[in-house]
Amino acid sequence: MFKAAIRSLLAHKLRLSLTAFTIVLGVAFVSGTFIFTDSLRSAFDALFDQKQPDVVVTAHTNFVPSNRGGGQPTAATDSLPERLQSQITAIPGVASSTPEVVVESVLVLGQDGKVVGPQGSRSVGRSWVANPAINNLTLIKGSLPTGVGQVALLDSTATAAGVSLGSTVAVVAPTGTIRPLVTGLLSRSVSGSLGGTVVIFDLPAAQKLLLSPGRVSDFLVLSEPGLRQSQVAALIKTTLTTSVPGGVDTQTGAQRTDEITKRIQEGFGFFNTFLLTFGLIALFVAAFLIVNTFSMLVAQRTRELALLRAIGATRRQVQSSVILEAALVGLVAATLGLLGGVGVSKLLTFLLEKLGVSLPSTPLVLAPRTIVFGYVIGLLVTVFSAWGPARRAARIPPVAALRDDVSLPVASLRVRRVIGLVLVLVAVLLAWRALHVVDDANRSALLIGVSALCALVAAIALAPAMARPLVKVLGLPLPRRPVSKLAIENGRRNPRRTGATASALAIGLALMSAVGVINASAKASVTSIVDNTIGADFVVLGERFQPFPHQVYRELANTLGTSVVTYVRQIPVQIAADRSLMTGVDPIALPKVLNLQMISGSIANLALGETVVDQKRANELGLKVGQQLNATYLNGKGTLRLAGIYKDSGFYQGYIVTLPQLVAIGSRELDTAIYIRVAPGVIPATVRASLENSIGASGAVRLQDQSDIKSEINSQFDALFGFVYALLALAVIVAFLGIVNTLLLGVYERTRELGLLRAVGTSRKQIRRMVVLEAVLIALFGALVGLCLGIAYGALLRKSLESQGITELAIPWGQVGFFVVLAVVGGAVAALWPAFRAARLNILAAISTD
Amino acid sequence: MNHDAVESRAQSRNGESALIAARARSLTKIFGSGDTAVTALDSVDAEIPQNAFTAIMGPSGSGKSTLMHCLAGLDNVSSGQVFIGDVDLTSLSDKALTKLRRDSVGFVFQSFNLVPTLTALENITLPSDIAGRKMDSEWLDTVIDTVGLRDRLGHRPSELSGGQQQRVACARALAGRPAIVFADEPTGNLDSRSGAEVLGFLRRSVREFGNTVVMVTHDPNAASYADRVLFLADGAIVGEVAHPTTESVLEHMMALDPQGRS
Repeated sequence: MFKAAIRSLLAHKLRLSLTAFTIVLGVAFVSGTFIFTDSLRSAFDALFDQKQPDVVVTAHTNFVPSNRGGGQPTAATDSLPERLQSQITAIPGVASSTPEVVVESVLVLGQDGKVVGPQGSRSVGRSWVANPAINNLTLIKGSLPTGVGQVALLDSTATAAGVSLGSTVAVVAPTGTIRPLVTGLLSRSVSGSLGGTVVIFDLPAAQKLLLSPGRVSDFLVLSEPGLRQSQVAALIKTTLTTSVPGGVDTQTGAQRTDEITKRIQEGFGFFNTFLLTFGLIALFVAAFLIVNTFSMLVAQRTRELALLRAIGATRRQVQSSVILEAALVGLVAATLGLLGGVGVSKLLTFLLEKLGVSLPSTPLVLAPRTIVFGYVIGLLVTVFSAWGPARRAARIPPVAALRDDVSLPVASLRVRRVIGLVLVLVAVLLAWRALHVVDDANRSALLIGVSALCALVAAIALAPAMARPLVKVLGLPLPRRPVSKLAIENGRRNPRRTGATASALAIGLALMSAVGVINASAKASVTSIVDNTIGADFVVLGERFQPFPHQVYRELANTLGTSVVTYVRQIPVQIAADRSLMTGVDPIALPKVLNLQMISGSIANLALGETVVDQKRANELGLKVGQQLNATYLNGKGTLRLAGIYKDSGFYQGYIVTLPQLVAIGSRELDTAIYIRVAPGVIPATVRASLENSIGASGAVRLQDQSDIKSEINSQFDALFGFVYALLALAVIVAFLGIVNTLLLGVYERTRELGLLRAVGTSRKQIRRMVVLEAVLIALFGALVGLCLGIAYGALLRKSLESQGITELAIPWGQVGFFVVLAVVGGAVAALWPAFRAARLNILAAISTD
Repeated sequence: MNHDAVESRAQSRNGESALIAARARSLTKIFGSGDTAVTALDSVDAEIPQNAFTAIMGPSGSGKSTLMHCLAGLDNVSSGQVFIGDVDLTSLSDKALTKLRRDSVGFVFQSFNLVPTLTALENITLPSDIAGRKMDSEWLDTVIDTVGLRDRLGHRPSELSGGQQQRVACARALAGRPAIVFADEPTGNLDSRSGAEVLGFLRRSVREFGNTVVMVTHDPNAASYADRVLFLADGAIVGEVAHPTTESVLEHMMALDPQGRS
C-alpha cells in the first residue's frame, strides 16, 4: 500500500502541489512567527545578560508594582539626592556606587521637526556612566559631552534624526526644547534599538535639564567580590531607611534582568499570539482545500481503488493508503513551510525596519519546538482533512472496478443541515444572551465571539445546502446566454465542493468585514466623542502626549481673539489598589472647553480636598459620592472626598481635582494639555496663525483643531487595522488558491463534457468565459455569506463594546463594495489558469477519454 | 457484389460536384513520429454525396474513426485536403473551424453526447444557443416529434435512458440544419431496440428531410440502414457497397478479411 500511495502521489503532483502550497503558506507563517520571536528573545536575553550592576538603588515608591496601568511615573518625585552617594559607598560590601539620571520621553526631533522613532518606542535621556563595567554604551566617534550645550547620541538615533557630529540636534527635555551640539556618537554592545532613541548628557547637565540639580534617578552599585547581591541590597535598604524620607527601593542586577526579560517576553508573547492566530486561521482555511483535493483525488481514482479492493486489499488498507498519501503531502509541505518560515521571519524583520524599528541582528533561532510544531500542524491538518475522503474511499465496492459509471456514495446533506440549524440556534441564543442578559462588556464580547464561531461553523455546514439556490440567484443578473447557464449549473452541480470552496473565502471575508465594521464604528465613535465632549476650538498636546513646560501656556494665555485658555496637569495616583491618573483642572474654565456629563456633583463647584471620578471606575471600585478616598501618590499619601461622578466619555477618565489641589499634592511645572476657545464671533481659523506663532517652532507641542484630532485618531485606527487586514489577507489568498484548485479539478473531471462542447461549436473564448464565470459565482457566493456574517457580527460586537466607548455603529459600505469587487476580480484571476487549460483541451482526447 | 460496388463508385464520381457534401483528397494522417509513427490514413480519396446516408466500416485500427474525425474537422491532417462543401478545412484557423462545426456540422458520439447540467431541450438547442441564433421553431418541433421526445424535454440526461439520450443527441445534431451529420458508433452502447430506433431516425432524416449523414460503425446490421457503405482497411478505402443489406455487408467484410473470421 505504501508503494501505491507514493505512485499516486507522483501521478497527481500538480494537483497536490497546489494543496501543499497552501499548507506551506500556513506552516511558514506559523513557524516564521516562532522563529521571529525566538530570535528576538535570544537577542534581548543577550542584551540584558550584558553588564548589569549588582544593585540598583531608587527612591521608594508606594505603588503596588505591576498593577493596572494608567500613567508613567514622572521623574519629578521619583528621585534621590546625589549626596547619598557617599553614604552608599560607605556601606560595608559596597565597592562603588555611580549616580545616574535616566528619564523617559526625552524626544529627539528630526530635520522635519517630527519625533524620531516609531510610536510606542522608548526615548531615553540619561547621564553618562563612566564605569565601563556597568555601561553598555561605547563611544565610537567624537568626544563625551560636557555641559548643557552638548550631547552624545546613539549612532542609530543620529542617523534617524539626520544629524552628524558637530551639528546641532533638537531635543525635547522636560524643561523645554533645547538645541545642543552633537559631540559624540555611541554604539550599544548589542546592536539594534527597537527604534528607541538615546540622548546622553554629562551628569550635571542631565540633572539640570531632565531632573533637577542635585537629584539623580538611581545609583548603580557594584559590590565587593564574593558577596551575594541580595545581601548587599538588603543592607543598603535598611541603612538608608532613615536617611531618605520615604526610604529607598533596591533591586539586584539579577532581579532587574528578570523583570526586563519578563516584560519583553510578555510583549512578544502577545505579538506572538497575535501573529499565530492569523497563521492558524490560514491553516484552517487551507484545511477546506485539502478536504476538497482529496475528495476529488478519491473520486477520480474510484476504479483504481476498486481494483485494489478487487484483488484483495482490505478497506483498512485502502483507507490508510489515502491517509498515507495525505501524510506524505503534509510532511513535504511542512518541511517547505519551515524553510518558508525563515523567509517570513526575515520579512517581519524587514517590515518592522521599514516602520523604523531596528531590531537586534542576531542569528535566526530555529528552536526544536518550532520544528516539532511545524510538522505537527502540517501533518495534523492534512491527515485530519483527508480523513473523510479516505473513509469514503474505503467504502468503494470492488465491483466498481468493472463498471463504467460509478459514483462514490454521496452522504446526504441532512446531517449537515441539522447540525447547521442547531448551531444557528445556539449562535442566536448566545448573541441574545450577550446583549440582553450579560452586563459585563468583556464577557459579553466573549459570548459574541463564541456565537460568531458557532455561526461560522453553521455557515460552513450549511454552505452546500445554500450553494444550489444561492448560485442560481447570484447568476440571475448574468446575460441569458448558454455560457452563463452552463457556468451557473457547473457551480451548482457539486454543492459540497462549491460550498467548501466558498466557505474558505467566506471565513476570510467575514473576519475582514467584521474588523471593518469595528474600525468604522470606532472612528465614527471618536468623531462623535470629539464633537460631543470637546468644546474647545483648539487643543495643545505634547508630542507623544508627553507633558510640556508651563511656558507654553504663558505664551498662549493672552492671545488676541481667544476667550478661554486653560491648562490641565496629570499625576499618577493609586486608589483602592487601582492605579490611574489624577488630572488637575481649573473648575471654572474647564466646563467651557470640555462637556463632561455629570451624573452627580459638578466640576464648577469642586473645592480643595475634593475629587470627581468617572462612572465606570466608581462602579468597578464601588465608590460612593461623599466617601473619603485614601489616595497614594508617588511621594506620599492623602485623603480626598468624592464629590461627584461623571460619565466616562472614552477620552476622559480617572480622578479630577482642582489645580491648587494638584500643586498641594506635588506636581511639577509641566502641563498635559491646553484648551483654547476663541471669542464669540471670531472664526477659529483666523486665530490659528497667532496661536502657532506663540507656540513657536519648539516641536514639543502641537496645536490641533477638532478635525486635526479626529483625523489623527482615525489614522491611528487605520494603521492598526491595516496591519490586521494585511494578516487576514493571507487567509483570503489561500481561499483563492482553493478556487483555483476546485476549478482545475472541475476542468479535469469534465474533460469529456468540455470536449463535447468544443465539438458542437463552442469557441475557446466561450469555454474560458464559462470557467471564469463559474469562479466568479463561487467567489461571490463566498463573499455574500462572509460579508453577511462579518457585518452582522461586527455590528453585534460593536453593540457589546458600547460601554467601552464604541458608541456609534458605522458600516463601511465602500469597503464592503470593495470586498465584493475583490471577490469578483479574485475569482476571475483564480480562474485564469483553469480556464486556459479548459480552452486548450484537445477535443479528440477529450471525447475519447475514459 | 464487387461489381456492384465498382459501378456505384463510378456513378458518384461522375455526379456533379454540387452534390458532394464532404470530400477527402489524398488525405494522410500519421500519429506519432520517427520509429513509433503509425500511418492511420494513407492518401485516402473519398467523397460523401449530399442527401445520402453513408456508412464507414472497417476492422479495428482500419482508420475509420480517424477518417471521420478528419472529415468533421475535429482532427488536423498530416497532408492532403478535406472539404466540407467548398471550404478547405485544412486552411482554417481553430476559430473558423469551431464556427464551421457549430454552423455546418452535427455530431452524434458513441457515448457522453449530452451536457449533464442541461435539460434535453437545452441540449438540443445548445449549438444554436452558443451561436446566439434563434432556432426555427417549426423545424425544432418537427425534429422533436420525429425523435419522439416531447414529454422528456425538461429532463436532465441522467433521467433519460441510453436510447433516449442518443435520440436527444440525434435531435441536437439535426436541429441546426447542418450541411452534414457525423455519427460515431451511435448505437455502440445501446440495446438492439433502442439502436434500431436511432438508426431508423437517422435514415428518416435523410429520406424525409434531405439530410446528409455519415456514420462510422462496425455493426453490419447498423450499416444496412445506410445508402452506401465504404470499407476501410489499414488506412485505405478498399471497397464500397451501395444499397447494403446486413448480408451483403457481412459478405463483403468476409471477403476483405478472411483471417478475421477464422
